[in-house]
Amino acid sequence: MNEPAEPAEPAEPAVVRETAVPSRRGWWRLAAYGAGGVLVAVGLTGLLVDARRTDPLGWALWFGGLVAAHDGVVLPLALAAGALAGAVREPYRFWVRAALGVAAVLSLVALPMVLGIGRRADDPSLLPRDYGRGLLLVLAVIAVAAATAVLTVRLRRRRRGPSSPAASEE
Amino acid sequence: MVRHPDVKGLSARAEGFVRGVSARFGSGLHSEGVAARLGVWLGVSFTVAFATGLVSHFMQHPPGWLLWPSRPVNLYRVTQGLHVIGGLAAIPLLLAKLWTVYPKLFQWPPFRSAAHAVERALVLVLVGGSLFQLVTGLLNISYAYLWPFSFTTAHYWTAYLVYGALVIHVANEWAKVRAALWTRERVEPDAAARRRFLGTVAAASGLTVLVTVGETYAPLAPLAVLAPRDPRTGPQGIPVNKSALAAGVTGIILDPGYRLTVTGAVRAELSLAYADLVRLPQHTVRLPISCVEGWSADAEWTGIRLRDLLALVGAAPDATVEVESLERGGAYRTSEVRPPHWSDPLTLLALRLNGSPLAPDHGFPLRLIAPDRPGVLQTKWVTKVVVS
Repeated sequence: MNEPAEPAEPAEPAVVRETAVPSRRGWWRLAAYGAGGVLVAVGLTGLLVDARRTDPLGWALWFGGLVAAHDGVVLPLALAAGALAGAVREPYRFWVRAALGVAAVLSLVALPMVLGIGRRADDPSLLPRDYGRGLLLVLAVIAVAAATAVLTVRLRRRRRGPSSPAASEE
Repeated sequence: MVRHPDVKGLSARAEGFVRGVSARFGSGLHSEGVAARLGVWLGVSFTVAFATGLVSHFMQHPPGWLLWPSRPVNLYRVTQGLHVIGGLAAIPLLLAKLWTVYPKLFQWPPFRSAAHAVERALVLVLVGGSLFQLVTGLLNISYAYLWPFSFTTAHYWTAYLVYGALVIHVANEWAKVRAALWTRERVEPDAAARRRFLGTVAAASGLTVLVTVGETYAPLAPLAVLAPRDPRTGPQGIPVNKSALAAGVTGIILDPGYRLTVTGAVRAELSLAYADLVRLPQHTVRLPISCVEGWSADAEWTGIRLRDLLALVGAAPDATVEVESLERGGAYRTSEVRPPHWSDPLTLLALRLNGSPLAPDHGFPLRLIAPDRPGVLQTKWVTKVVVS
């Protein structure tokens, strides 16, 4: 706990108060640490003891690789896309960002199926659909929903007329 | 803070970089109010995933004392559907949560104390483990086995790791969650923006569910454009996990010398040809195939009640039964059927599916089908029943 994001210093006293009082909450926390610690230990032990099937090195590569790929590539790309969408003016900006975000997440979910890595000639009931088409359909739905939202906002603003320029912040 | 002269310059540069990055996060959505709410959603979702995952694991690997009930018929179908579809729904939640707290990655100093270092290490375990579970889970239901480990084993042990780290994380953050969720007197300038952001995240989750849940809930199958299965597609209108070809049984299942033998702790062994099986009293039941991968499909099965067969050979009421396949190898060549399941009148050794003899891929000549049971334990191409 205890790193409040923005005001790092002023929040310290709250933390001290929290831990100094041996309250019932303090006991709950200790119990949670104990239970969580046991679960972590069970998991680690299992991964190591079952090494023949868990392949700890391969596991660690996947674990570390996913953290690196997410924190080093996927998230910076998302931030960059969000920053680019900042060029769109409010109140449309939110809808552009929302549509891009939802579209990106759904594309990630669809990706392994679109690539069809798991297809097998002997079992056509595996991945039976055209997932490229499915994804395009989903993206089209997202685009239409966002466009509808933008148009609605626009119509509402026009109806309110030029008298209320402050209406841009809902 | 003590700094050695040779690392001073480097350290200053690192500090400058970290502070520089962390100063760049302008959005008010990188806030505790957003993180707390997404955290609660994820906490609920991971709890459901952990519990349903344990159900699935211990249904497939029950300790000796554990007798799972055979009813309700759709219990496993629901728990595993929740596990997989809920897991898919958690993907947008996790990505949004990590986006929200990303600025915290850039702290200076990186570790304020030993306790802070341990805490951050556990957050790393939580983040890496969550990504591992959701990404390998998604790839697994897409049949993309791109790893050197056994998915089920790695997914199982990693679940303990993630849930343990989650429990500790919740204990650490609880005060903030309380403050964010139950303190109303605070002035909240970003409340509207937060609501819109969380609404978008919920929409992404909802859309993910909408385009996948049809693989287990047939009425929504037409919408399941991103589901790896269609419950209406496959031989005889039912999906297949392992084909006869993949199991290496295409030749032997057509052997006219096929026999079903019932053996073990019995009064008299039984050896039945296909023609004998057809002449035994037939029953028709409606049961789902519920796969560990989350899809399920309802079907009409016709065949012999397993309990009738066991009564014929005089098996004890507390007997455990091993059903064996013609398959030569594979993790699911045999499966164990305990009393609650084999004594259930719905449990059949089925000869027919949806009105016609089983297709080779569905287990011709004979397969097990029982209520409330993972699909991998519904043994196909059955040739032997061993009572013990």
